[in-house]
Amino acid sequence: MRWVTWEGIKVDRMACGWLIRRFIDPKAEFVFIPPGTRPLPKGAEPFDIPGVRLSHHRGHCSFHAMLKAYKLKDPVLSRMARIVDEADVVQEAAIEPAAPGLDFVCRGIRRTSPDDYVAMERGGMICDALYAELQARE
Amino acid sequence: MNGPKTWLLLTYKVPRHPSARRVYVWRKLKQLGAILLHDSVWVLPNSDRSAEQLRWLAEEIKEFGGRASLWTSHAASEEQESELVRAFSQDVDKAYSQILARLRRPPADLSTLSKRYQEVMARDYFHSLVGEQVRAALMKTKGGGRSR
Repeated sequence: MRWVTWEGIKVDRMACGWLIRRFIDPKAEFVFIPPGTRPLPKGAEPFDIPGVRLSHHRGHCSFHAMLKAYKLKDPVLSRMARIVDEADVVQEAAIEPAAPGLDFVCRGIRRTSPDDYVAMERGGMICDALYAELQARE
Repeated sequence: MNGPKTWLLLTYKVPRHPSARRVYVWRKLKQLGAILLHDSVWVLPNSDRSAEQLRWLAEEIKEFGGRASLWTSHAASEEQESELVRAFSQDVDKAYSQILARLRRPPADLSTLSKRYQEVMARDYFHSLVGEQVRAALMKTKGGGRSR
């Protein structure tokens, strides 16, 4: 399946891409479009684009929306969702120490990656690492 | 490097009730360090990060049944621009000074004060010198709270 999102990916889109590949659609193909592009390309599921189903809702990030939409009940993923929430947009309570660091690292990954495809791969490695560490602490 | 700065402007309307939502939006803007100009326009220095934050906040406002518009803009005069920069600096300098004052009054609660420092630093858009003093003081201070 094809999945589309805005280019210049940061923590939320990296985490979503990782989630898609690892838990939803292992053969996912990503399409990156310039922010604000309308209409959205046909035949691709949009994510982390304002106004779509798999996007921010009620102050939660798109990663959170994906867990809900695909009924992923893994407690480690729920914990990741909170971390991505805090890394991605300012939250009233900050309870996850990993969040600010994750935001910085993901921004840096995009800066050092030649394009969004590579950034998505590298972001995925970070998410794998985060998942493993959280799982070990469960 | 010294060209005119770009600013993000947010205007919005949230339904009057429930009032918790108005407070929620207001709090988020304060957390970002946005400044409310003339009771009507919220302003932040432009950056990728701030633009993303405001874009998502605008989406949230729409979900509440409110309306929001986000703009990028330049000040029409240098004077207006420096006034704005000064307003941002005063806000963070004040917050930093409060931390400094508490650091100098032992026993200082270093864990609370360093948390507070991080919150202020997140909205320190113009690299406050008082912020550097706080940082130095936090690194020097030992449990008893004597910073020297």
